[in-house]
Amino acid sequence: MMHCTMEDLGALRAGEASVWARRHITTCATCQAELELLYQRVAQLKSLPALRPPRDRWPAVQATLRAERSRRRRTVGAWTGSLALAAAIAGILLVPSGQGGKLHAELSQAKQQSATLEDSLLQYDVEGRVLSGRAAAVVAELEDRISVLDGTLAQQEQSVQDAQLVRLWRERIGLMRELVNARATRARYVGL
Amino acid sequence: MTVALAVPDVLVARAQAGDEAALEALFRAFETPVYNLVRRMLRRPEDAEDVVQETFLEVVRNIKQYRGEGHLWGWVRRIASTKALMRIRRDQVRATESLDDEPGKPGMHVGANIDLERAFEHLSETSRAVVWLHDVEGYTHEEIAEQMGKSVSFSKSQLARAHARLRRMLDQGAQA
Repeated sequence: MMHCTMEDLGALRAGEASVWARRHITTCATCQAELELLYQRVAQLKSLPALRPPRDRWPAVQATLRAERSRRRRTVGAWTGSLALAAAIAGILLVPSGQGGKLHAELSQAKQQSATLEDSLLQYDVEGRVLSGRAAAVVAELEDRISVLDGTLAQQEQSVQDAQLVRLWRERIGLMRELVNARATRARYVGL
Repeated sequence: MTVALAVPDVLVARAQAGDEAALEALFRAFETPVYNLVRRMLRRPEDAEDVVQETFLEVVRNIKQYRGEGHLWGWVRRIASTKALMRIRRDQVRATESLDDEPGKPGMHVGANIDLERAFEHLSETSRAVVWLHDVEGYTHEEIAEQMGKSVSFSKSQLARAHARLRRMLDQGAQA
């Protein structure tokens, strides 16, 4: 006696079986049992316990996302750096005299240093360069701090005294140096 | 395992705005169901972990394109299953793995008292993927065929062969 194949049983389960299979299953106890086993297997598969990831992958995801964000920001930063350099040169040319003039010169110098560091960074910040998770996290943290500082500078550029601006710009230079060092160290390490 | 994950719209909106805490909350909500899905499809746990990471990177990169049509889990699950299938295809190309089951491979001997979970692990990755997507996740053969880049009849025959093999393994285990 011919019995249902597993394909027939699957088709019966899906309500797509042939006329022969539909007739056969009503009279064949063997195939009825096989179909019942199929239903049971599927039910058992559905009730298997959830397998849980052995390690937390969020830090790796987060580091990659931050590194990507940093690369995007650096592209914007390159433009910002060029504008800062232009502003610094303009500032030097228009420097006033006296104490105010000294602060103004320091401010221009700080902006110029910052712009130079931005340019230096570009040579280490090639799109797609691989950083380890730890290096990416360090770079991302520095980038975030610079980003916050840039936000402060953008808000306060017109409203605070030059002395405060000089302090903020020097802080930015410090962070930029750390960032360049982090990138340069990595580049040396991988021989790029 | 069936999943009915409800994610608040406000959380999705925050994630779309780039809020890292919201992105992490989404990751936490979906990491286990995604891992479970891809681990059932893939043989090696480390591959499943990699796919979890790849899935969430893609989720985050494309979260702004999610328009709230359908359940978020359905969208995430689709990304995860596609990535797992891509890995299976890539490994097949590398190892020229047969699409059939793999009798005779080390570790394929089925001893006594084998349960369904162990028997399932002995299937090839392609068979595992088809069985899991169809029988557990509720994908249609048309959807599986589209995702795998194969025909509907391929998906159907893989499912039938996988069940026939499971049936044999469980039967042998019971008789041993």
